[in-house]
Amino acid sequence: MHSLKDYLRLYFIIETQYIKARMQYRADFIISSIGMFFSSLATLGIFWVILGSIPDLAGWSFMQLVFIYGFYMIAISPMQILFDHIWQIRFHVQQGTFLKYYFRPLNMMFYYMSEMFDIKGLTQLAAGIVILIYASIRLDLDWTLPRVALLLLTLFSASLVQISITVLAGCAAFWVLDAYPVLGLAWKLREFAPYPMNIFDGAFRFTFTFIIPLGFVAFYPSQLFLQPEDVSSLVYFSPLVGVGLFALTYWVWTKGVNSYTGTGS
Amino acid sequence: MKSYLAVLRGSFMVGLVYRFGFLFSIAGNIIYMSITYFLWRSIYQNRETLRGLTFDQTYIYVALGSAVFILLKTYVDWQMSYEIREGTVATYLTKPIDLQFYELFMSLGFFLMSLGAITIPTILLLVFVFRIEIPLGLGLAIFPFSLILAYLLSFCFDYFIGLLCFYTESVWGLSITKEILVTVLSGALIPLPFFPDVIHKILLWLPFQAIYYTPLTMVAQPNLGWGTFLPMLAVQLFWVIALFTLTRLFYNQAIKVLRISGG
Repeated sequence: MHSLKDYLRLYFIIETQYIKARMQYRADFIISSIGMFFSSLATLGIFWVILGSIPDLAGWSFMQLVFIYGFYMIAISPMQILFDHIWQIRFHVQQGTFLKYYFRPLNMMFYYMSEMFDIKGLTQLAAGIVILIYASIRLDLDWTLPRVALLLLTLFSASLVQISITVLAGCAAFWVLDAYPVLGLAWKLREFAPYPMNIFDGAFRFTFTFIIPLGFVAFYPSQLFLQPEDVSSLVYFSPLVGVGLFALTYWVWTKGVNSYTGTGS
Repeated sequence: MKSYLAVLRGSFMVGLVYRFGFLFSIAGNIIYMSITYFLWRSIYQNRETLRGLTFDQTYIYVALGSAVFILLKTYVDWQMSYEIREGTVATYLTKPIDLQFYELFMSLGFFLMSLGAITIPTILLLVFVFRIEIPLGLGLAIFPFSLILAYLLSFCFDYFIGLLCFYTESVWGLSITKEILVTVLSGALIPLPFFPDVIHKILLWLPFQAIYYTPLTMVAQPNLGWGTFLPMLAVQLFWVIALFTLTRLFYNQAIKVLRISGG
């Protein structure tokens, strides 16, 4: 059994090598970073255009939406940077190369995910931080030390929600031949996480709160900072949701890993 | 011509393999159309019109936009980057076929596939389940022609990115950047009149709007008349011819840097 410290050291060693290898393709890195930057700002652009025609969207001003958006961009970054290898899982499972991950005395999820470190995701993270700071200055938010701690805690939990949704979708690869559409759907849904959940009603709000809890990626936790005096009690569950969902994901992953029989070649 | 039709048939068959994917694409479309319904409902609230468009017009526009979105994605850029990396592009170059037409017919197979498997089911759902009344009018009759021109334009953009891969040998960043530019600037997500006036005017001068804004407007506002539709079609045709020619010229340049290692 390895300690957390061992894992951190190991991760550092693996990623240093990985980054060195990636840096051979510098042009690709620069173009990809630009692409990442534009694609992560697309929905914000939509908000900007829409809020040019109307004063508020379901009670939220443009700057409040910008805050939620900044929160969202930071919250999805750990998924992008640390768990990006999930996209390759269907190839590994189909071609049998997934077997190699069984042969090291390491946690398999750790070993599998450590094979990729998405550098361009750092652009997204940086942009998210800038946007969040900008919006909180414009909104005149009061940052005390406990509130900053609360922000970090909620961001941590929100990023676990995003990681869980995507990894769960990727785990479909263990049971169906082509998991790409499942992942694609999860990816498409992700774009709706920064929308104010109160525009939905009935079944949709229920789904995005309890079944595919997209609301916990950005909208619910952001309320703690945007309107602390008027927070629905759901919001206080957001740290629990992240950890609980990740535990479920880990359980499903383990199930999938144990049921995988290779390709026979 | 016969050989290109064989290419088309082949890619159609390949598309058939991914039946499971179609279900998810349709499911994705349903979710997307519902979400946009809620979004635009809360944008309109009790307003009769916004920027000269009623809620129904805007909703038909964006919902149909999501139905044809998958159709207008040719994936030619990804296809070409794969062919370049694997070196198979070299075998096409030795054959007496034209690369641009080869890629076009290759993508047409997928076009027909997704038309039948995704777009038409989505439109049927839109009409029968979502109960959207698509108004009848001249625009609806011209729409198929406009859509074909839009497809050819979208192909030109993707083919151009594919040719750029001759230089970069990687596609992700280029393709994502192109996709975002096209979807936002073409009015695929928001009808162009919602953009600030200056930007709206500039966008009308760019080729992007001919991909989504033109065909979608024909369905959303089918009674604008020939006086509006004819110039729109002419502009589309102009961009198709211009971009087809430009990418052909660019091919002559790009082919010089192509290096295939092994094969």
